[in-house]
Amino acid sequence: MTKQITQEELQKIVQSIPMLSASASQLLQVASQPDHDLMDIVNLVRNDAHLTARVLKIVNSAAFGLVNNIASIDRAVSYLGERVVVSIAIADCSSKVFEKELSGYESAGGVLWKHDLRTAIAAREVVIQSGADINSELAFTAGLLHDIGKALISDYLHGTVTDAIELLTAEEDLDYLDAEEKLAGFDHTRAGYELAKAWQLPDELAEVIRHHHEPSNAKEEFRALVYAVHLGDNIAMLGGFGTGSDSMRYKLDRKYTDYIDIGPKTLATIMLNVDIEFEKLEGSFHSSGEKN
Amino acid sequence: MGQIVLGVGDYGASNTPGDDVKTFALGSCVSVIFLDPKTRTVGMAHVALPDSSINKAKATEKPGYFADTAVPALLALMTKFGCHPRGKGIVVKLCGGANVMDTNDTFQIGKRNALAIKKILWSYGMGAVSEDLGKNYSRTVSISVSAGQITLSSPGKPNWQL
Repeated sequence: MTKQITQEELQKIVQSIPMLSASASQLLQVASQPDHDLMDIVNLVRNDAHLTARVLKIVNSAAFGLVNNIASIDRAVSYLGERVVVSIAIADCSSKVFEKELSGYESAGGVLWKHDLRTAIAAREVVIQSGADINSELAFTAGLLHDIGKALISDYLHGTVTDAIELLTAEEDLDYLDAEEKLAGFDHTRAGYELAKAWQLPDELAEVIRHHHEPSNAKEEFRALVYAVHLGDNIAMLGGFGTGSDSMRYKLDRKYTDYIDIGPKTLATIMLNVDIEFEKLEGSFHSSGEKN
Repeated sequence: MGQIVLGVGDYGASNTPGDDVKTFALGSCVSVIFLDPKTRTVGMAHVALPDSSINKAKATEKPGYFADTAVPALLALMTKFGCHPRGKGIVVKLCGGANVMDTNDTFQIGKRNALAIKKILWSYGMGAVSEDLGKNYSRTVSISVSAGQITLSSPGKPNWQL
């Protein structure tokens, strides 16, 4: 039997995670406002010299294959799009979370980031291809953050994978959230929600983190967005990019059809686009992909 | 002696004793495995989607990605190792094609992959002698060329043979 996390311990774990940088935090606030424009993003990036340098380095990396280097930050931001700029800011200040080895799920370091990036890309593609009335850039950002709770509880799940799988095999109605709850005391959505509060994330992002496995329980005003990330998460897992032992051991919330209309052919297009886009974006985040 | 690792949409073959042909974490993707006892060649394709009509350019660049282009591409590759061009004598095995829990028809992408592969195999008069398809967990597949033995693994489960 493993150690159960108490509410008090969870707070300690949350406090041990570095806060988001001021820029990342402000970018998330702005990105969640329905009436913002790209210049709001540009101005925030411009005020952070380190972030400006990172954005310029990435836009000029080999992955984007530009013939002429981009030197101005407003051109770089408009070329990359809000979602990529927000990802750069988050990745830069939260590598402790995203690059963490998820030993509790038998996953190596970096696997969580890849899963999150796949989910982000897929959530955005779901919105675009279905034509649903959801902010596609925000769906991407929410996808990136949806599983932060796994980094918090993973150490406490260390050595539990065989027990978890035996439990789920014996009781077919249970999913991996139930296993996490039984084995560590908290599932990753509840743990993630505590970090979302500590990070003072906008309500819609906190709601995605809390309810991405059962969006029908999310607040009505954010439910469509939560469904987009729910589908993105499932698409990432089906595409072979889960986070280890829990992959595909969650339930599809079939009521998504009330908000998002996709058929088998659209789903195939989404999955193909996710593969193509992932290769491009993943490459751009790695220094090996940089020109000269 | 080495490891041939196939990513999504890749296909490959080997007749070098000591080689392993491997693919990681199949979700809804299906691994098509060809074993030719006569030439002792092992081939595999990591198929992501059923039908190449959604993107012909991708099918040309990566034929292993789609069921309908992967099977002919893998057969053509096996022919280079001396196998029969229409697959005579080749032993076919399939694995992968998983689903998430409580899936609906739209998200049964694994099932559609497996069906599309069986359909194209059928057109060559070929069929799988064994398969490990569906369910809701990821599978890593490793084939030893020397023994023609297929080992599957998944976190939290003991390894098993196909």
